[in-house]
Amino acid sequence: MASSSQAFEAATSLIEARGLTKVYGDLVALDNVDFCLRRGEVRALLGSNGAGKSTLIKILTGAVAPSAGGIWLEGKPMPLGRPEETIRRGVACIYQHSNLAPAMTVLDNIFLGRQPTNWFGLLDRKRQRREAVALLSHYGIELDLDATVGELSTVKQKEVEIAKALAINAKVLLMDEPTGWLAASDVRRLHETIRQLKSRGVGIVYISHMLDEISGICDTMTIMRDGCVIAEADVAAMARSELVRLMVGERLARESGSASAVKRRPRGDGTIRLSVRDYSRNGVFRDVSFDLYAGEIFCLTGLIGSKRTELLRSLFGAEPHDGGRVELDGRPIRPRSPAAAMAAGFGLAPEDRHRDGLMLNLSVTENLVMTILGRFVRGILLMHGAIEASSARSIAALGIHPPDGSRPVRLLSGGNQQKVLVGKWLNLGPRVLALDEPTVGVDVGAKAEIYAILRAERDRGVAVLIVSSDLEEVMTIADRIGVMASGRLTATHDATDVSMGQLVAEIGAAE
Amino acid sequence: MIQAIVPLARRLAPRALMIAIVLFVLVFSALQPAFLKPENLIGIVRQVSLVGIMAVCMTFVIMTGGIDLSVGPVLAMAGLVAVFALDAGQALPVSLAAGISIGVLIGLTNGFLVGVFGLPPIIVTLAMLSVVRGSALIVGGPDLHAIRGHYSYTFIGTGSLVGLPMPICLFAVVATAAAFLQFATPLGVRVAAIGDNERAAYLSGQRVWRTKLAIYALSSFGASVAGIILTSQVHTAAATYGEFGTELDVIASVVLGGTSLSGGRGSVVRTVLGVLFLGVMNSGMAILNVPIDGQLIAKGLLIALALAAAELQ
Amino acid sequence: MRVSIGSLTLVAFFLSVLAFFSAFAPNFATAANMENLMSGFSFVAIVAIGQTFPILLRGIDLSVGATLALAGMTAFDLSLIAGWPGYLVLPAALVVATLAGLVNGLLIVFLRLQPFIATLATLAAYRGLVYSISGRQLVPSLSTTPITDPWIAGLETYYDLGSWLGVSSLVRLPWFPLSFFIMLAVLLLVWALLSATKFGRNVYAIGGNAEAARLAGISIARTVVLSYGLCGLCAGLSALLLVARLTTATEALGVGTELTAIAAAVIGGVSLSGGVGSVFGPVVGAFLLGAVLLGLTQLGISQYVQQILTGLILLMAVASDRVAFVRRRKRFAASLGEGA
Repeated sequence: MASSSQAFEAATSLIEARGLTKVYGDLVALDNVDFCLRRGEVRALLGSNGAGKSTLIKILTGAVAPSAGGIWLEGKPMPLGRPEETIRRGVACIYQHSNLAPAMTVLDNIFLGRQPTNWFGLLDRKRQRREAVALLSHYGIELDLDATVGELSTVKQKEVEIAKALAINAKVLLMDEPTGWLAASDVRRLHETIRQLKSRGVGIVYISHMLDEISGICDTMTIMRDGCVIAEADVAAMARSELVRLMVGERLARESGSASAVKRRPRGDGTIRLSVRDYSRNGVFRDVSFDLYAGEIFCLTGLIGSKRTELLRSLFGAEPHDGGRVELDGRPIRPRSPAAAMAAGFGLAPEDRHRDGLMLNLSVTENLVMTILGRFVRGILLMHGAIEASSARSIAALGIHPPDGSRPVRLLSGGNQQKVLVGKWLNLGPRVLALDEPTVGVDVGAKAEIYAILRAERDRGVAVLIVSSDLEEVMTIADRIGVMASGRLTATHDATDVSMGQLVAEIGAAE
Repeated sequence: MIQAIVPLARRLAPRALMIAIVLFVLVFSALQPAFLKPENLIGIVRQVSLVGIMAVCMTFVIMTGGIDLSVGPVLAMAGLVAVFALDAGQALPVSLAAGISIGVLIGLTNGFLVGVFGLPPIIVTLAMLSVVRGSALIVGGPDLHAIRGHYSYTFIGTGSLVGLPMPICLFAVVATAAAFLQFATPLGVRVAAIGDNERAAYLSGQRVWRTKLAIYALSSFGASVAGIILTSQVHTAAATYGEFGTELDVIASVVLGGTSLSGGRGSVVRTVLGVLFLGVMNSGMAILNVPIDGQLIAKGLLIALALAAAELQ
Repeated sequence: MRVSIGSLTLVAFFLSVLAFFSAFAPNFATAANMENLMSGFSFVAIVAIGQTFPILLRGIDLSVGATLALAGMTAFDLSLIAGWPGYLVLPAALVVATLAGLVNGLLIVFLRLQPFIATLATLAAYRGLVYSISGRQLVPSLSTTPITDPWIAGLETYYDLGSWLGVSSLVRLPWFPLSFFIMLAVLLLVWALLSATKFGRNVYAIGGNAEAARLAGISIARTVVLSYGLCGLCAGLSALLLVARLTTATEALGVGTELTAIAAAVIGGVSLSGGVGSVFGPVVGAFLLGAVLLGLTQLGISQYVQQILTGLILLMAVASDRVAFVRRRKRFAASLGEGA
């Protein structure tokens, strides 16, 4: 009996991954994860932001090499960290971010790197077109093969990505949030495609927050949290509430804001600090309207792709917008640059601290005073003494470790780097402090410290606007919560009035 | 053995240039005792004063990941304008101001195109190289213009102050001023920030375009001063001075000093060391009668090493 | 083949420049002048074609002038000093130039140097190398000896197409230099390479979105190294044509060529931001520059003004490339979907 079931396993096993671990500096993105996929299995991969889902996918496709662990495809070991190898062996992926060459045509993008050639070594254009046309009609995708990809709408671009993955005729298809921007009919079509592939024995991994979709199309699910796999089950066998509990943690699933011991202050002291009306940017977000009060923490949550970061960037003057009114303390503002926004009293701590937030090779002190350099200038001289004093105060207040202002920021741990980032914006003393994913890549201890810092700011009368995809974080820290989806603000709640399950449902609701 | 070397090397690295200079001075003077003579040492520094002035002024531009290829023609233009002003009867300060102003104007143009329009510095300064050279040739023609009289002007290049040749004194003054700008004013921090992460600097409220305007003007300022000194030294002004290769020497000094061409940490002090190192190498090889192509190859190798070391850090 | 509005504008501009100078400059619209244009700028066009590769990859090659000189001096030394026959000298020089280009590619890929830094360094290095291998210094008497090897000198041939086609009684056609036909051949070969081979598509893909190309399994290292090698090869070919024309090689050969080649490429619509442009543009750009320079000469405009104008033209080309880039980025805004 044992050997025949083993034989069955071996015959149907598609992917076997053991002990996958990925460490970035001191951040453990993936912790000893095992993952198996069988032929014709549609596996949902669930977990909140930062759980490790994207990292797992990147390792499976070879985009990133793991720090430890191995992968076997159909029993044969797979070379790690080599995208050309995984594609050759039949692993295709639709990534979350765009992976298209915007200046090339749809046809070129579908066959990127894999164009069919004739025996001269030249591109076989006719065959390429024939295969593309056949592919598109087979799966019911409508695309103009000669259109320039960069000029297509987001929805159409997603379809090009899907076609590109399907063209590989893979044995395994991985999809990272494939339906974020698709309309209901497109989603139905995608699911039809998935069923077709499934019947041909293709193994599919489906990352999504859309719980309704998952019950419709997936067979099994893997739930991840903090880089580990915490549960695996058949979709049919698990109740929705149990699922939410596993995804976000026992305590928070049952609580709503009111049960928490922390005091909430929705609408702060009652004065409107920032008023946003009909704020729009063509093709990105539309008719966003909300009020932000002094002395409250307002969390804007939603899925990746809901354009919350873009909203913040436009408010901050780092990116343009096409319509709407913004008033700060009753005065209309239209900042054309971050410097102008800062002068008006608006600060933004960006999401990607490495790319946008910090100067990694500069010292902690230099980073901390970057936003207020002008305040330390007497004539043309820089007041070094005052800068050191200010930096020492910040380091102490934020608990930055090691407390050495001259240390290059890149030598600090992720949590401490984030504190420097937050500290630099606190130093500005803004009337509105916006933070984009303030605790991403930060350990639990530093997270708690940052929450305390933000609450202290709130208590001092600052209006705090936080964008976060981490529902646990939102439930912990928000006084009020806003939900954004596909560029529109769809709901606003007081934190005390809404439960985690409700939020999950609202975020994952189809449009 | 290797375990011991690596941490040792890492600790010595910031001092590496100083050590290298001392080492080479020792080696050269062992091979040729005349090397250590004061006249020779002073001569070394005087030789590199012009490149040195341009290098310390270009350091800021290179720290932001930019480059200024137009310094050669600016040098020529500034010298030409100053001398023509003198010949037209203008007083010394006015003529000097004229020469320097034209250089700064060119620098502001570079800074404007790079900082406000966002055009790539390499192409902008490459194009301006052509524009300024052509302009200089129109203003001065291809001929040499001898400087007759104007002893206060020629003093700049040939005189001495406290026993040191004027070019060295001016190099010291400019280098000190540049160091002052870097360490005592906010410019140094702003430039380092832009060089490390321009996008983050912009998103932190830095007015990047203003800083770029200033540093390209500074770079051309250095070239103007060098131009005035050069014309004063050789008693001639010509539109053809600062020929192709000048900017490479300047860039090489900055790179040898350890400033990375891709932007980030750098310092005027290190550029000065780089300049001195170049001077020591040039002089040493000349005294040892190394043939020209050997010198070029040695220089090239050194620069390649310095580049690789700077990038791999 | 899709012809973009940009390239139509370019051709229209080129034709209007020709028309302008034909009207206002004496002797512009003559056969002799057309010969000058072709013989003087075909080699520039070949360098510009080569420069297309690095620019498409979002890089640049500043060392083409020095590579040109290196290949030229190699030909000089091998032919006059070593006494090699022409049919060996030609490939040897091309090999040297290709190697020089490959070195650029290797520096960029393996030392991870930025292209402008790597090629700035090789610019200095190769120029220095030219001086050290210079036959003119090694054997000074040779500096006045012309290269007469038939294989090399034969590159400087002119064809009287007028009489061959039998139309010389109707219209006076210029004599077409061989370099022009070689340029056309290179143009067609490179066009085929870029549009009809995987390698070519990969170049566009890497320039357009390097990460997407990597994830699609394209070998970035191989493509980049080969591309810079091809750029060097084109510089080498130009060197041979130039040496044939001058019957000698000098250490200062090719100085300033990188400026003209880059200008030609950018004018021709190859965007410095990578992934955009075809190989016809640089050729039109090179002859456009040539026409402007020759026309200005015939209008009596001094060389110095021409120098200024060349610089200004490059600035305008880069500025308009930047404008086009910003517009493209706005149109493509949705595709760079990052953040939440």
